[in-house]
Amino acid sequence: MKRVARLLILSCALTLLLGADNSRYEKVGGKIMCTCGCAEMLLKCNHVGCPNSDTMIRQLRSQLQASPNDADVLNFFRRTWGITAVVEPGTHGFELLIWVLPPLVLGLGLLLVILVVRKLRLRASPADAGEITLDPHLEALRQRARRETEV
Amino acid sequence: MPLLGDFCLIVALALAGYSFVFGIIAAVSKDSGAGFRLGETARRAGIWIFFAVTIAAFALAWAAMNNDFSLAYVKAHSNRALPTAYKFAALWSGQEGSLLFWSWLLACYGLVLRLRHKVDRRLVAMTSIIVAGIQVFFLILCNFVANPFGMLDRAALDGNGLNPLLQYPEMVIHPPMLYLGYVGFSLPFSFALAALIIRYPGEKWIHITRRWTMVTWLFLGFGISLGAHWAYAVLGWGGYWGWDPVENASLLPWITGTAFLHSVMMQEKRGMMKKWNVWLIFITFMLTILGTMLTRGGAVSSVHAFAQSAISPWFYWFLGIVFVVCLTFFILNRDHLQAENRLESLVSRESSFLFNNLVLLGACFAVLCGTLFPLLSEAVQGHKITVGPPFFNKVVIPIGLFLIFLTAVGPLLAWRSTSWGSLKRNFAWPAGISLVVTSALVVWNIRPWQGLSRVREWTTGLETAQIFSWMTILFSTLVIMTIASEFIRGGRVLQGKLNTNLFSGMYHLTRRNMRRYGGYVVHFGFILVMIGIAGLAFNQDKEQEMGLGDKLQIGHYTLVGQKYTQDDNANYGSEAAVLDVYKNGKFLGTLFPELRFFKASGGQPDHIVANHSTLVEDLYVIYEGRNTETDRPIIKAFVNPLVSWVWIGVLVVMFGTMVALVPNAEQIRSTVPVSVALKAMEEQGLEPARVGK
Repeated sequence: MKRVARLLILSCALTLLLGADNSRYEKVGGKIMCTCGCAEMLLKCNHVGCPNSDTMIRQLRSQLQASPNDADVLNFFRRTWGITAVVEPGTHGFELLIWVLPPLVLGLGLLLVILVVRKLRLRASPADAGEITLDPHLEALRQRARRETEV
Repeated sequence: MPLLGDFCLIVALALAGYSFVFGIIAAVSKDSGAGFRLGETARRAGIWIFFAVTIAAFALAWAAMNNDFSLAYVKAHSNRALPTAYKFAALWSGQEGSLLFWSWLLACYGLVLRLRHKVDRRLVAMTSIIVAGIQVFFLILCNFVANPFGMLDRAALDGNGLNPLLQYPEMVIHPPMLYLGYVGFSLPFSFALAALIIRYPGEKWIHITRRWTMVTWLFLGFGISLGAHWAYAVLGWGGYWGWDPVENASLLPWITGTAFLHSVMMQEKRGMMKKWNVWLIFITFMLTILGTMLTRGGAVSSVHAFAQSAISPWFYWFLGIVFVVCLTFFILNRDHLQAENRLESLVSRESSFLFNNLVLLGACFAVLCGTLFPLLSEAVQGHKITVGPPFFNKVVIPIGLFLIFLTAVGPLLAWRSTSWGSLKRNFAWPAGISLVVTSALVVWNIRPWQGLSRVREWTTGLETAQIFSWMTILFSTLVIMTIASEFIRGGRVLQGKLNTNLFSGMYHLTRRNMRRYGGYVVHFGFILVMIGIAGLAFNQDKEQEMGLGDKLQIGHYTLVGQKYTQDDNANYGSEAAVLDVYKNGKFLGTLFPELRFFKASGGQPDHIVANHSTLVEDLYVIYEGRNTETDRPIIKAFVNPLVSWVWIGVLVVMFGTMVALVPNAEQIRSTVPVSVALKAMEEQGLEPARVGK
């Protein structure tokens, strides 16, 4: 079972590592918001005659051709259309906090639970645990009782 | 009528104040006879709040229905040409009305609570005081900060009309459902705080609280899904969840409520996590207040800019007071919340609940971070940044995947401790089948998973979203298999005992433990929603100018422009396209996407989406209008796989919740002795393991 769990975790990690976006236009465009006030993402803005989205999309295409760095493209939009045009927070300075906090809090929480449970287990009397699990006959009876009382 | 409504609001505030103050005096009174009589008057005053607020709400609805444009609120949110149902919906369309609606719903819940006081007089009396306290806050807002009965100097001839985005049938029931959820959490909160204040012995309060929470959670979940469906059908961007701050605000209490519904089982079964549960329900209530503030206060910019004003400071103060009260009584009475048992193993049902709670709270924290970070950045950096879908997708989706995994594993674990052998035995088949299913998707090019069919793409540049989708399917299959195995295993036992067939066995199994098996149905529905969401990775869209006879090709579909029409009525003018749809050359039908221009709102446009929906995918078409240069109509089409499963999943979740709310059938007497194992264990002086319930 441990092997299966490890395999699952490994495959998840590998798939995550292998995952890479192949469309810069969709990827970078998905981080920019239309600034006309429609509250839609740039590539989703469906307002005919929108005063901003056509220009922004043209700029996006030209910036993607001009710069191989996505961050530079996003910075161009921040400078040109205001900081709120880019909906993905930056990964440096104060904005880094938002990326770090959720996984950090979750990770610390999980770690805390594991440590607490381990500590409580160590405190438990070893005799209690041993008495039940060491006798295979009793363990079989326990398993049967467990199955039949589960319903 | 408005004057009567205004008067009733004042009366309601006086009654709520009386119920609150004299309820407290009665609770602390040393003279039990006088205290009881005073408490009874406080309870009755609480009942009368309902009638006073009902008259006020009726007066506002009456004014809207009868085009009384002397009221500023009615002028701002209604107009003569508005259909009657939407005039009624004006009651909760603006800030003042929605706060009145909040008060009315709380009065309804309060009425039920106070009429059912015989359940436990002492607990209900204290709960009633806390509900009255909350009611006082909202009635102060209604009377002095956002009064819906404010009069204009001169009555207007017509109103500004309802926001066009709200003129959609679902919008008539979405806010009430959402508010039933928001307001409903006041009751579990009040029960929990009351039980803490009076050091209520036993776990009865938690049984009562759990049922209230389930009902409230059901309403909130339904409200959220209605909002998502509205966004899909009206906003016209092809999606249903945009991580908008107001959407997030509704999700937050739902997540913590979900965590509570899981961890409360630990308290009921094993007397554990009492402090945790109390804080979960406190936090859930505070998040509903935060949600109301975000929706109505305008603290963060949102597409839901229906009602914004500067009432936020009032909510900040209220939140602060609630927090201080909760913290004070928690510190004073925390010894009352000592756990009766301890966690014994990492591989146990208790641990799975604990991890489930942590992951849910992690998701809640991530969403809260993203929602409030613009405010934080403004305070720290001096400018407000925008946090949109890219952040939430990157942070919340992995957490969600972990949650699905836990949903699969949790039910297979026993209380106290689970051996690896039993886990392996229970887990092998579900894990094997889910691996086979997901491998089949990859290898056999099963639609709509074309992106996963070629090894080259897999190793060189598959989109992250597709990988997440694939993992969602993997874990979802695992969950479905574990749920099925739980039903089949239990059904087989009863099949033998009752001498019936498997389905009847499963039915009796469910009737004997509605909560547990209803919970599995809820899990199943949740998984269907996740499968629907997994389809997002394979969305396609295409935009094109289309004249008569022109074709638009997207996926297997071909759209052909047949006709373009215009229409006009008192409320709006409209342009529509008539499009024939073919799939693989076969005629499917005709779609009529429309664009409406609402007159009272200065010609504000609103999309009426045409959607051809199947279980596999939606063909979602919008008419964007005419190109200002060429005057040719512009059509945008989306192919959105698996979206239907989101809505089906929501219905299944609702059904499961209702099943879980039904009381168990009486135990069916077994004709076969339970087990020789029990007898043998008794001889050995052992206690049978408490599992699975």
